[in-house]
Formats: sequence, C-alpha cells, structure tokens
Amino acid sequence: MRRSVAGAVLFMVAFLGAAGAAPSRPRLAMILPGVIQDADFNAVGYQALKEVQATTGVQTAHSEQVSVADAERVAREYLSSGYGIVAFHGGQYLTIVQKLAPLFPDAVFIMESSGQIPGLPPNVWNIGRKFYEGFYVLGVLAALSTKTNRIGYVAGIRLPDFVASLNAVFQAVGKYNPRAEVLYTFVGDQNDPVKARQAAESQIAAGVDFILISVNLGTVGIIEAARAARRPVLLTTFYTDKSSYAPQHFAASLLSNFGKPYVEVTRQILAGRRGGYYEMRPGSGFGLTPPRNVPPEVSRRVQQVWRAVVLRQERVEEITDRVVERR
Amino acid sequence: MSWELLLDPSLVRLAVSMAVPLALASAGELLMERAGLLNVAIEGMVTLAAAGAFLGAFASGSTGVGLLVGAAAGAGVSRLLAHYAVAWRRDQVTVGLTLYVLCVGLASLLYRLVVGVRLTPPRVETLPPVPLPYLENLPVVGEVLFRQHALVYATAAVVVALHAFLFHTSSGLRLRAAGENPVAADTVGVDVFGLRVRAAVAGGVLVGLAGAALPFTFTGTFTEGIAGGRGWIALMLVIFGRWTPLGAAAGALLFAYVEAFQFKLALLSKAVPPQFLQMLPYAFAILVLVRAYRGAEAPQALGKPYDREART
Repeated sequence: MRRSVAGAVLFMVAFLGAAGAAPSRPRLAMILPGVIQDADFNAVGYQALKEVQATTGVQTAHSEQVSVADAERVAREYLSSGYGIVAFHGGQYLTIVQKLAPLFPDAVFIMESSGQIPGLPPNVWNIGRKFYEGFYVLGVLAALSTKTNRIGYVAGIRLPDFVASLNAVFQAVGKYNPRAEVLYTFVGDQNDPVKARQAAESQIAAGVDFILISVNLGTVGIIEAARAARRPVLLTTFYTDKSSYAPQHFAASLLSNFGKPYVEVTRQILAGRRGGYYEMRPGSGFGLTPPRNVPPEVSRRVQQVWRAVVLRQERVEEITDRVVERR
Repeated sequence: MSWELLLDPSLVRLAVSMAVPLALASAGELLMERAGLLNVAIEGMVTLAAAGAFLGAFASGSTGVGLLVGAAAGAGVSRLLAHYAVAWRRDQVTVGLTLYVLCVGLASLLYRLVVGVRLTPPRVETLPPVPLPYLENLPVVGEVLFRQHALVYATAAVVVALHAFLFHTSSGLRLRAAGENPVAADTVGVDVFGLRVRAAVAGGVLVGLAGAALPFTFTGTFTEGIAGGRGWIALMLVIFGRWTPLGAAAGALLFAYVEAFQFKLALLSKAVPPQFLQMLPYAFAILVLVRAYRGAEAPQALGKPYDREART
C-alpha cells in the first residue's frame, strides 16, 4: 500500500514537473471599444481574434465597450489572469499601452494607430492603419462619378485618421475633377445613425450626389438618407461591405482585414519577436470591392489608381492635423 | 443670415421628421408626470423600445408588429416602474435609474441573442412618405408638412388629443388632481393608485412608440446607443413645455430645428469648429430651459409616493 502511494506521488510529481517544463502557449486578450455585433469596426476586430485562435491555436478572450478610462483596469485583470498578450483594438488606447508595457515587461501588447508611433517600449507591436490611402482611391471614384460636382464626406469624431482621410479625398478630387467641390461634416459621434442621417440629408439638400462614409454605426443612417433622396445618391463605406444593404446606392467599399495583421503579429510573438511595426494599407490588410453602379470606364480607372497606390506609384500625402481644402 | 436660409424647406422638413421621437417621448413623460410619476428610466425605455420594435419587425416582416412590440416594451417597463413607485411606494428616481440601466443592457442582449454577430447589419423597411391628397400641393407647407411619413401625422394627432384630454375632460382633471394633490383627489373618490398605474402604462406606450420611431424613420436597424440622449431631452422638453403637451411638442420642434440647423451651418461655414456646432442644440436647450423654468410649476406631488395610511 505504502509503495503504491509513493508511486502515485512520484508519478504526479513527474507529471506536474513535465507539464511545468513544457513551454506554455501565451493567451491573447483583446480589448474592444464597442460591441462586436456592430457589423463594423468591432465586428472585424472580433473576427480577427477568431482567426488568430483558429490559425495559431492561441487561446483568446475579449472585452467589449471598454472606454479609455476603463482600459487599464481591464488590461490588468487579463494580465493578472495569465494572459501574456493584450491587444487594444483602437487608436484611443495609446497612452494605456505606453504606461502598462514597461510595468509588465514579460507581457506583449498589440496596439493600433494611424501610423508608426516612435519610441514605443520593446514589448509592443504597433499596427499602423493607413486608411487615408484607401480613401484617396474612394475620392477618385467620387470625383469621376459625381454628376452634380458636389461630393459629400461624413465623419464622426475629428480624429487624425479621419482628417487624413478627408485630406486624401481633397487631393483625389483636386487631381481627378478640379471642378468638383467636397462638402464635409463631422457629426461628433461615429455611432449615431440619426445624426449621420441628418448630416447626409443636409448634404443631399445642398446638391451632393456622392457621399463618402467615414462613420461606423452611423452608416445605416446615411444609407437611409440616400434611399429617401429624390435623385440618385451613391455611397462608399469602409471596414465591411455593406452593399447588400442598398445595392443600387453603393459604389464601392474599402474592406479591412484585421485578421491578416493580427495573425501575422501573433505568429511573430510566438516565434519570439516581442515588438515591431506592421502596416495596414491598400494591398496589405485593405481591399477594395469592384466599383459598381458607375460607368465601366470609371471602374477601370479607379482600379488602375488602386493598383498604383498599392505599388506606391501614386503617392498620397498624409495630413492629420488640419483640413487642407484643395479645389 | 437670410430668412431663405433659416426657412429652407428641406431644413424644416427634416426638423419636423426629427421632432417625432422627441414629441412622442415628451408626451408620454408628461402624461406620467401629470399623474405624479417621475420617469427617469425614459432614455432606457426609448432604447429598449427601439430594439423591441426592430426585432419585432425583423422577425415578423411587419412594421405594424414592430410598432406594437415597441409600444408594449415601453408599457411593460413603465408598468414595472408604477409597481415599485405606486404599489410599493419606492423612491421613483432610484427605481427609474435602475430600470434605465436594465433597459439599456436588455436591449443590447436581446439584439445579440436574435441577430448575433454579423458583418452586414440586418435592416427592416423604414416608413415611406404618405403624401396627403390636396394638402401636399399647398405651396411651401405642402412639401414641409404633408409629405411626411405616417408617424408625423400620428404624433400631431396624439399631441392634440392629449392636450384635449388633460385640459378639457373630467378624466383629465382627475388625472391632474392625482398629480397635484392626491390626498384631496382620494377624498373625493378618485382612484389615485389606479390612475397613476394607467397613466404610467399609457405614457409608456407613447415612449415606446418614440423608441420605435428611431429604427422605422431614421435607420432601418437597431444600433447601440440609438436613443442618443433623446430620452433625456424629452425629460427636459416637459419642463420647457411647462407640463403642457402643445408646449412640449413646440419645444421638440424647436430643438429638432436647431439640431438640423447645425448640419446646415456646418456646410456653410468652415470657420466655426464642428465641436462648437455640435454643442449648439444643447447650449440652446440649457438657455431656453433656464428661461422657461422661471414661473413654471411642476405638479405638486410629482415624484412623491402616495401613502393613504400616512394621512392624519
């Protein structure tokens, strides 16, 4: 009896020892600013998380509707629960990452921004999102498609990403249709469809026949404004393809595939690279749906410009701090 | 600034449409407050009703069913409020705020359970414009007032009917008495408890319809935060209207006009920062409210639970 108990103890010690010696796979937690059923920014973030789990085998968890004020607490809870990688889906969490990364040198942080942030701690992966390059191509599409020579741009909050995107639209319109005018509105909320609709209706009443959408949940309000308009109004959106919502109104969508950068970054972390920069841009995380509801020659031209931007043959200036109107 | 700009038909037409949820919600709140019930759950009720209305229409394919579900959601929550506030005589603000939080969470949960996570948001048909024969051809006002969707006409009818009920019927007098002096009303045989509960349910129906108006007139879908503070604005409009339905509806129109005007102004002047323009409706609301509150008298028993046994 005594021998069998000792054997069992020895077996357990050996088993636990072996388990402890095996390198444990880090777990990844994602912090999202909104709800994952938004069919937009948060939904694509959640999809990326699922893709990471499916392709790398890393165990994942997520928290939704985490405000900047709450983000540090939520991140600390994950860290203390043994999550070795904490990803912040959204550019608003930069200061939290800058604070936590030096305090938790064994953990790895993933953060998003409009471009490469200088001086980040060595355990931070920075995903730079160059939306404005995609918006430049959408601006070309609007410039070549408008019949009233009035193009609308509806954004929510005046963040650097959206200012840069608006400036890219001004550049595209200035180059491809200098007679056209860009009317823009910042409604103050990325997710208020009622305000977005009001802004779109004001633009349509002012003669706009092509609206570039730069809001998230607000998109549905703009779609309804286009549907209710008495003359045809074309739209573009980003993150996800919403053309099935109003097929006759959508000209194109700038698609975001966050799965690609997140999977790549996770693989790099598993391989031992604890920090770095990954850039999302046309051709690398951003795609364009084939233009529709526009003449074939416009579609061809837009796809040419897209390829030129992908290959960096057509350069777009990034201006994030002010709106530079070019007519 | 020219009159042409201020009275631009497209601007006024937009303001009329935008005033609908505000006018309906403030009418519902006013009915409850006139009976002595303070409903601070209103923002949550609007959100839950918007979710219920959308999901009802999404599941059944019928806007009518959606409107019924939205109204029922509003009525259900206010019945719950009445149960705690009237039958159990709990503090109305505490109960109301609890229900507000509950409603916002419940709306999100229900949407996720039914719709789940998708990359394309589901939508339902929004209400089409219903031009009124002959009236739609009137110069200027025809375009602005008589080519609207059915809820605009229904809201106008509700506001007028509520005003007539409160100030020109004996039932309305009894309801106001329950909100002004429940002891005196009880003494002359008015069923204060029953009246308050019925007012809560009827007011909840109107608040529910206000919530339903958001997906059915503006968005065609439900989104988080769809109420966007419109419930709180409705609460303010009751004070602005000095507890009269016509006054509150006028306030709703005015607020909606200023809200719509900010977007017009944003297109005209790039010199004014957008943050300032976004602040405009709320700054306007505060200024008007300060002015309107002078001399306004709330129902005397508003927010006070009525306890028959407490009479001495």
